[in-house]
This record gives sequence, structure tokens and C-alpha cells, in this order.
Amino acid sequence: MVCARMVKHLRLPLLLLLLALAAECNSMSKPGKPDKLGCRSPDKETFFCWWTPGSGGGLPTVHRLYYKTEGRETVRQCPDYHTAHSCFFSKTYTSIWVEYTVIVEASNALGNTSSDPLTFDLMDIVKPYAPENVTLVVSIGDNPHLTIQWHTPSNIDTKSGWVTLKNQLRIKLEKSKIWKNYTSDTQTHFTIYNIELGVVYMVEVRCAIDNSAWSEWTNTTFVKVPNFPRTDNSFWILVFSLSLIPLLVAMIILILKRKTVKKYILPPVPGPKIRGVDVQLLKSGRSEDVINAMLLNQRFPVVMPWKDQNEDYLIVSDKETSYLPLEKNKIFILPVAITLDSEVQSKETSEVDRFLKDSESSSEESSEKTKSSQLLTKCPSTNVLNDEKANQLKGVTEKIIQPFGISGYVDIPRHEHTQEADYSRVNEVNSDNILITKKENVPHTLDTQGQEGGVLDDYSRVKEVNSDNTVFLEKHSDSVNASIRAKGYIDWVNQKAKSPHVTGHSEMGVCPQLVGCGYVDTFPPPAVI
Amino acid sequence: MPGNIRSVSVVSVALLCLVFCSQPTSLDAAPLCTNAEAGCHVLSLANLFDRVIQHSARMHGISNDLHSEFELYFLPSKNQIGRVSRNCHTSNILTPNGKENAQRMAREELTEVILKLLVAWRDPLWHFHQSMTHFHDFIDFSSNKSLKMSDMVHELRKGVQKVVEKMQMLGILSNSVSSLMSPEAFLASGSAEWRLMKDYELLYCFRRDSNKVQNYLKILKCRIVPEDGC
Repeated sequence: MVCARMVKHLRLPLLLLLLALAAECNSMSKPGKPDKLGCRSPDKETFFCWWTPGSGGGLPTVHRLYYKTEGRETVRQCPDYHTAHSCFFSKTYTSIWVEYTVIVEASNALGNTSSDPLTFDLMDIVKPYAPENVTLVVSIGDNPHLTIQWHTPSNIDTKSGWVTLKNQLRIKLEKSKIWKNYTSDTQTHFTIYNIELGVVYMVEVRCAIDNSAWSEWTNTTFVKVPNFPRTDNSFWILVFSLSLIPLLVAMIILILKRKTVKKYILPPVPGPKIRGVDVQLLKSGRSEDVINAMLLNQRFPVVMPWKDQNEDYLIVSDKETSYLPLEKNKIFILPVAITLDSEVQSKETSEVDRFLKDSESSSEESSEKTKSSQLLTKCPSTNVLNDEKANQLKGVTEKIIQPFGISGYVDIPRHEHTQEADYSRVNEVNSDNILITKKENVPHTLDTQGQEGGVLDDYSRVKEVNSDNTVFLEKHSDSVNASIRAKGYIDWVNQKAKSPHVTGHSEMGVCPQLVGCGYVDTFPPPAVI
Repeated sequence: MPGNIRSVSVVSVALLCLVFCSQPTSLDAAPLCTNAEAGCHVLSLANLFDRVIQHSARMHGISNDLHSEFELYFLPSKNQIGRVSRNCHTSNILTPNGKENAQRMAREELTEVILKLLVAWRDPLWHFHQSMTHFHDFIDFSSNKSLKMSDMVHELRKGVQKVVEKMQMLGILSNSVSSLMSPEAFLASGSAEWRLMKDYELLYCFRRDSNKVQNYLKILKCRIVPEDGC
């Protein structure tokens, strides 16, 4: 009794359940939702869309694609169902820069199911096909290289400027796993250098339109790079090794005979030799032999006795006419301390330069006039003063001392001793560096023939030289000291190389090296300057 | 000796100058070819076109980047369904929307379209940049592309005007375009629409219009001076 009541209650739901099961088994329902809707334009002029149909329904289902463009509200159907589950839009139906909304509807007897709509602009869905006809050419030679060529996809129009293609290729060794990418803008060929020999390469190419998505890669193309023929190498190796043998032989000979080779290439340089002097003799150390060798066998050049020359002079320049003295040997060299030089030069460089120029130019003139005049140049720091014809100023000959850097003396032509020397004794030097000489007849003894004593008589000891380059002389004969060792005398540029002089000079201790330059002894620098 | 060296160097410099200065380059074509020699002028026009096209390509690239950056920054949940059909303020300018249409269009018309587009975007981009100045983070994020964009549109317009002048000088283009050169003529009509647009829409519209300009210029170039690169 209870069971019967239960069955009655459960009858309805059970029936329904059975019906539902029956319906499921038959799968007769609305169609499944189409899925994975996609669209693509391979050439920027047409496009197509595809979808995957949904499962289920059981009944024959028809899929329709509807689209709508921006700005127009009319919904239109696919113009060309190209292949199953795809729709092709030709040029007439394609507009760029226009938004499309596409939807796919699956319908059967039981109903319709629509997919999700897809909205896009043509410029977003551009994706070209892969390039075609990829060819690889290996060229061996000095530069083995691989040339890759391909064609653009046939459906793309590249002439109108509507489409700009760019290409990319990748290459790898067959064994390797890493691809190497190269970009080749618009060219449809590419060359790869430095390839390995005897290996197999794999190459793939793809392209893109403007900045769109890249196409798929082409199918892989294989190429084998042959090896270089070995015979070339072996030939050169043989040649190389054969040429080594004579080289080795030559080296051995050179090493064995190195002494003769050395003599040939680097002949010995004869050592210095003094004529008449035997090095061995000197080495033996016998002094007589040495002296004989050195002195007797030598020929010294003849030395002209200095006293024959007029070298007692003081060169004083005349500012206005800065020529060397003409006929008169009024050339005096005024001693100025060497240390004065720097002062002088720094102070009066312009004057000095001018004077130098003058003196140099005048030296040429003077050489015509006075034949044996020479100007020794490059003597360091001796002031040589050129004297002029004195500018007569009230019986006092003024000579303006122009110090300048280049030292030298002027050799004046020898005059007869009988000629009254036109020496003037320097009387005093005033503050403008003017030597004031008295016009008095200076005895001959001033001339070169004079003995030392005579010469000495007319020396004046310079008392001091002050900062203005003036020389103050002592005016008495007390200064005349037989001993030439007295410092501070005006030593004429007396080239008598007499020993007292020499010693005197050496005792000076100041610029002994200038002896040959014709300088005048200087004062002890600290005391005077 | 120094004198010798100097004279030698002067002579060598003069020789080098002669060698290099005598080679004509396409950049110097304009001043050299004052008379209407066809080969000479066409070369320089192609050069001008290339430059202008490159400029427009750059401009489109920047607008594309800015558009995606804007989306990333302000609208991360990009919703395809929610896209409303754009009402760009330039939609009243009739633009050819396909290759054939563009090719069929007369040169003068196409040039006018380009210029109209460029002129129409000058103010909106400037204002867009101004409105973006509040968003310092976005400006850093986008590395100040909005300013670059508004500058580029200005430059491109000047460049296109130069090309047009050149073409008119060569007789390739009739003089009917000149009446539209002044930007004021463009701005008179319905120019305030862009103020109603939102920033994102503005960016989208400009991205599209810059692509249009780039393509039209390319079509024009390959029609007038069909050389390599077409």
C-alpha cells in the first residue's frame, strides 16, 4: 500500500526525467555557440573571417555571418561564404579605417545561437602570408657566403605605395637550437658572410606590412655548405716547408760566420788618433816620451803676437750714427759686469734689439770700410760698445755706451804706431752712461807695444759701477798697481796671453771662460752691484 | 720648412674640397637646378616626399603607442563590447577608405584631404597635451608623447605645404589647392566638435587619421614620382 502511494507521487518527476534523458540522447536543441571568431587581411585590401562552430544541436545547423560597419546601421550578411566556416570580403566590401562589427549566428530548427561580436578596424587585422620561393645559394671562394632570396607573397601589390613590406629572416645550424635573426627591410634578398664550412644551415623568412603583425615563417629551407678542397692547402704547406730549408741553412751559416758578417755589416770605426802620438807610448808612461810626443811633434799654428794688433780698445757707441768706426780706431770695450747684463737686458731690451740690429747691419757696412773688422758674435754676456766718431760736444767727446748682449770686439786695422793714437782717456763716466774722455794725447805706450807697466799706467781702476750702468773711475795713478791682480781695473781687451794676465784673470774668478771673447774684467759682483 | 708644409696642406685641402664639393648630392639638387630640368626637379621632389612620408610614419607610430599606453594606464579592463562607434570631429572630411578610392581621387583632392586632416588636428592635440599636464605620472609613463605628437602634426603640415608648393611650381599640381593653404579656412567650419570628445576617443581618432595621412602621402608619391620605394 505504501509503495503504490510512493509510485504515484514519483510518477510525474520520473516522467519528466525520462523525457529529458530522451531529449539529451537525441541532442536536439539549439545549436551550439560558434566560437573563436577571427578575421584577417593578408593584403590590406580584402579580408576574411573564420569561426569554429559550436558543438551540439543535433539538428542541421546553418551558420550565418552578419556584419555592420561604423556609421551605417544596416546589418548585412557575408557576401561570400568562401569555404566552410569562413567568410571572404572582397575589395568592394572592404573599407579601411572603418570599424566592422562581425557576428556569427548558428541556427537550426530549434533556434539560433549567436557568437560574441568581434569589432575591428581593417588596419588592426592586417597579417600577410609568408614569403614564397625561398632560394639559397652558397658561394665558395675567397669569401664564402650564403645568399638568400625570396619573393613577396603573390597577392600583395607593392607598386602602388599602399603597402610597405619589411622582411625578417632567421638562420641556424642544423645542430644548434638558437636562431639568429636578421632584418631586411624591403629587399627580398640577403647575404650572410662568415659561414662555416661543411655544415647544414636552416633558413626561414617572414614578412610584415607597415607595422602590422608578422606573417608566419616560411617552411624551413636547408642548405649544405661544402668543404674547401684540401689540395690547395697541402700544396701551399709543401711550398712553405720547402722554402724553410734554405732559410735554416742561411741562418746556420750566418751564425757560424757571425764575426765576418759583423765586420762586413758594421765595419769597425777607427779610434781617435793624434798624429805623432803613439797611444802605446803614452800608456807606457814615460814622461819624456810623452812630452816629446805631445809637444815636439806637433805643429802648433803660428800665433801672431798679440801685441802687434790694436786691441786696446773700448767700444763705445754713438747713439745717433750707429756705425762701426771708420778710420779711427776709437773702439773701446767697456767692461761691464756680467751680472749687469741681465739687468741691462731686461730693462732695455728694445734698445738692445734695435742696437743689435743696427750693429749687425752696420757690421756689414763696416766690413767694407774697415777690412779687417770682424764682429765676434755669440759671446755670452759681454757688453761691447761700439764707438763712433765722437760727437763733439764742447771738446768733450761723449760716447754713449750701449750695452747689448752680443759681445764681441771689433778688430780694427792696424795702424802705424806713429799715428797719434786717438785714444782718449776716459776721464769720467757720468750718470748717463757717458764716458767723458779728455782729449789729450795719450802716449804711445797705450799702443800695443807698451809694456805692461806703461799700459798699466793708463789703466784706470773702476771705482764702482752703479745701478745705472755707469762706471766710476778712479782718477789717480794710485790705482795703477803693478800687480794686475787688482780687481776692478779696466782691462783692455788685450789679447796678450801673457801669463800675468792670465793669472790675473784667473784670480778674478769671474768669467774666466770669457777670456777668448774679448771681455773686460768685471767687478766682484756682490760688492759693486 | 713650415712654409712648405703650410702650402702643401692648403693645396691638399683645396683639392679635397674640389673632389667632394663637386659631387652633386640630391640634397643640393634644389639650388643647383634653378631652370626647369625635369630630371633635376623630380629628384628633389621625391626626396621631399620621402621625408614627409617618414615624418608621417613616425607620427603615426607615436600616436599608436600613446593610444595603447593610454588604454593601459586609464582603462586596463579593455572591453571590446563596450566600444562605441567613434564620432571623430574629422568625420565630415570625406576620405577615401580604400586603395582604389584613393587612386581614383584627383591629386589636388587628395592633397586637400591631407592638408585638411593635418590642420584639423592642430588645436585638439594641443589641448589634449594641456589636459594631460595634470597627469604627471602618465606623462612620465608615456615620456611626453602628447607634446611630441602635437609638434609633429604642426611640422608635418608645413612639410606637406612645401611639397605642394614644389609640385605647383613644377606644374604637377594645379593652383586650386592654394586657396586652402591658410588654416583659418579650415577652422571656420564646425571646429568646436572636438571639445566634446573625450581624451580616449581623441586618441583613437588621431591614430586613425595619422594612418590615413601616411597612406595618402604614399599613394600620392608613387603616383607622382614612382621611384624605388613604391
